[in-house]
Amino acid sequence: MSSFNGPGLYIHVPFCRRICPYCDFSVLTGDRSWQSRYVRHLLLEIDLSTGSGWPDLIHEPPRQPFDTIYFGGGTPSMLRPEDLGTILAALRDQLPVRDDAWLFLEANPEDVTLEAATTWRQMGFRTISLGVQSFAEQHLSFLGRQHTPRTARQSLDNAISAGFDTVAMDLIYGLPGQTPTDWRRDLDAALAAQPHHLSCYQLTVHPRTPFGFRRQRGELAEMENDEQAELFLMTHRLLEEGGLPGYEVSSFAAGPEHHSLHNQKYWTHTPYLGLGPSAHSFAQRRRWWNPRKIKAWMAPLAEGRSPIESGEELGLQSLVLESLMLGLRTYAGVDFDTLPGGTGQRLWEENEATIDRLVERGLATAERSCLRPTLRGLAIADTVARSLDLDCLREESP
Amino acid sequence: MDSIRNFCIIAHIDHGKSTLADRLIQSCGAVEERQFRDQILDSMDIERERGITIKSNTVTLLYDSPDGNRYTLNLIDTPGHVDFSHEVRRSLMSCEGALLLVDASQGVEAQTVANLYLALEYDLEILPLINKIDLPSADVEHAREEISEDLGLDPYEAVLCSAKRGTGIEDVLEAVIHKLPPPTGDPRAQLQALIFDAQYDPYRGVVMICRVKEGRLRPGQRIRLMHSDKEYQVEEVGYLQLRRVKTDELAAGSVGYVIAGIKTVRDIAIGDTITDAESPADEPLPGYKEAKPVVFSSIYPMSTDDYEDLTTALDKLALNDAALTFEKDSSAALGFGFRCGFLGLLHLDVVQERLKREYDLALILSAPSVRYQITLNSGEEIAVDNPTLYPDPSQIDSATEPYIKASIMMPERYIGVVMELCREKRGLNTTFNYLAVGRVELTAELPLAEVLFDFYDKLKTVTQGYGSFDYEMLDYRSTDLVKVDILVNGEPVDALSQLVHRDMARARAMRYCERLEETIPRQQFKIAIQGAIGGQIIARTTINAYRKDVTAKCYGGDITRKRKLLEKQREGKKRMKVVGSVEIPQSAFMAVLRSDDKK
Repeated sequence: MSSFNGPGLYIHVPFCRRICPYCDFSVLTGDRSWQSRYVRHLLLEIDLSTGSGWPDLIHEPPRQPFDTIYFGGGTPSMLRPEDLGTILAALRDQLPVRDDAWLFLEANPEDVTLEAATTWRQMGFRTISLGVQSFAEQHLSFLGRQHTPRTARQSLDNAISAGFDTVAMDLIYGLPGQTPTDWRRDLDAALAAQPHHLSCYQLTVHPRTPFGFRRQRGELAEMENDEQAELFLMTHRLLEEGGLPGYEVSSFAAGPEHHSLHNQKYWTHTPYLGLGPSAHSFAQRRRWWNPRKIKAWMAPLAEGRSPIESGEELGLQSLVLESLMLGLRTYAGVDFDTLPGGTGQRLWEENEATIDRLVERGLATAERSCLRPTLRGLAIADTVARSLDLDCLREESP
Repeated sequence: MDSIRNFCIIAHIDHGKSTLADRLIQSCGAVEERQFRDQILDSMDIERERGITIKSNTVTLLYDSPDGNRYTLNLIDTPGHVDFSHEVRRSLMSCEGALLLVDASQGVEAQTVANLYLALEYDLEILPLINKIDLPSADVEHAREEISEDLGLDPYEAVLCSAKRGTGIEDVLEAVIHKLPPPTGDPRAQLQALIFDAQYDPYRGVVMICRVKEGRLRPGQRIRLMHSDKEYQVEEVGYLQLRRVKTDELAAGSVGYVIAGIKTVRDIAIGDTITDAESPADEPLPGYKEAKPVVFSSIYPMSTDDYEDLTTALDKLALNDAALTFEKDSSAALGFGFRCGFLGLLHLDVVQERLKREYDLALILSAPSVRYQITLNSGEEIAVDNPTLYPDPSQIDSATEPYIKASIMMPERYIGVVMELCREKRGLNTTFNYLAVGRVELTAELPLAEVLFDFYDKLKTVTQGYGSFDYEMLDYRSTDLVKVDILVNGEPVDALSQLVHRDMARARAMRYCERLEETIPRQQFKIAIQGAIGGQIIARTTINAYRKDVTAKCYGGDITRKRKLLEKQREGKKRMKVVGSVEIPQSAFMAVLRSDDKK
């Protein structure tokens, strides 16, 4: 899969039938007319990107063509197949996209009929990612999901029958009151459905979401840290035994060929271009993004202007911090020799004592230039990333 | 001189002293209505916020009485807290009379009595005022009774007013000129002027506020400060009418300011006497007493980079606050800082607030300590106010600690709990008096060290806010002192060490351990927190390792948000102090050193 190391494309589809109470993404419940307005404006954004695909703020665009296209959201499976087709055609027409680019589609189980799945497959989608979230009735209703456990199972069967290269599934755990037994049942159900890829996200309660407000009112108690840790470790151990070993904090796959090509670009500072409301892009140490609100994204496009809202240029320290923070979330860890700006060796030396302590405490292993988290280290990846001192990079500009 | 009245207002906190001052100023037209800010004399923000006067201010008012004469009224504002009683004394010495303010609904409070006695010590003529008569809960008759019974003053002399509403202010002014005596003194006698306050002007240096008792003060005059024995040349004299108003001379009886090219308030002593260098008075005015700090605490900048700024800030504060002492100090845990001496806890609080607000400094303060007198086996006597300088116990022969005489007034229903509190705090010789129906005054001899540790807060709690507290320093008494160290993963945190009486050691250590347990965030490893006397562990808690700290999702390429969060946390981490590889946040130090008990 090493051949997929070119830039990636991300298309944000902001529609949902209903907004989940934990969600803090850019989403809206719009009717068909909104969807067609969205598609029109997305086509305008693709028009603006005609050529290299990259905006002017990148003066030396990546030479390689895009090799992944990821439809995320929101609920991309709500778009009519015709709309998906139009968007794909426009992307292929106007941007440098590799013929064999890997296409990803996020889908809600209730949308995944065998017919729909077959259509998407025929359009060239190779990975379908199903927002199952849980196989337990009460947890689905707590999470505000529309489908039933039965629909979830059916959607997986349909996806597999349709012949996707990778059938992926999302689960959420660490719900208030969820016991290890509850969660084990979910995992067993997931394994039984034999997906190729599984993402298990621990519930994060974001402020200004319905859950956030409930927490503020004291009506929602988050799971204790120790219990969260229990579930986290259990997840990684059980899935490993079940044939879906983890490769990142929340990601598990039946084999390396099913690892998420697209997410890996985020983790390795590979350039990516995001289109649609709230979409983020990155290239040449610059990251920029579109407005979250659909109207704010559409307005400039209607006038033929770029919708980019703001961005930043990452200094060396920020860039390295990101590399560490993202790398330490993966089983592979961080190879200091590949850190930006050739800073790895110095950084390693500066942090020798810290690294020794991490190893001593069983949180990481250190081999040559590689710092690799253990499972316990993975569970506190943020703490580990914070423990490394980057002050020696402070004064340097990129 | 007959047209001059020098007076102050004495009152319990919150009985409306500053408001009354404001009204007097307003009705004498010293300030235009539109410029008027409430509580003009309380000029520091902290004073305004807390509603207490810390630094005294003085103002000269010109009052045109209906009797056709113009009077010069020098209103000498006094600080309203026991920590600043030295300033109160100075102020009282500059007056001939005092307005004693009694809240019509609350009656006579502990401080009212204490201040009255102080005023009587200086032979002031007392004019009682009953304030807040507009309140629905006002009980003027009851207040009169208390004035008569608790204070021994003629209740029918009392003037009724409401400073807030402005009612009765004319009566107050008339009473001032008719009931309070004019100053005495001879302008031709040798100069004696009492310095009772000082301000610092960045352009002119020290501005001394003084009361001329005898003789005259004029620009150009060569003066001598009698206690410090330093000489200066007077540059300017004048009156304080909310701003400085220059004049040709200050003669016996007047109150005003003197500028004499003095660089810092440290060069002068409040309470010193100014005399003429060429023809000096025989003796200084009585009552000079050095303001001695009794509470000590080390102040460290949160970020070691701020040490220089802290140095500058303290230097500047000291220009204005002669009672504040400081010297360099250093801590293994907190780096360089200053050991500071304060007049009391409130003074400490005020200094801390000012450093934060006016100089924008984030600080850590060590636990306040008193100054112990320690006799070593060698016979040598040393004073220790800093636990880090506590000598090896085997070298100590004996130790003494300062005691205070506390006076607590409260409604009688609280007497039981307050006596219990005093007992807990190692109080001795507790006595009580039933003052009037329903009110009790309790006096007790308490170690100052125990008062520093959450006494006020506990008193407030057990009396539901009805207890008032006043104290005076008493003497040094023998004590059984131990040094309690707090260890984090086996390493002592020097800034948390404390000198405590042996009987209190275990409880204090346990409380520290618990506070740290609550505030130190869980880390990669298990943390042991211990309290120890020497090698002996007397208290212990543990913080379990942090086991889960990773965000679920880095989605949609929005890595910026995640990184910023991490950066913010890293910044927070930098502000933490590392002891034995444990990161201790500022909040942990503050939680431990906070005296109140929030639980």
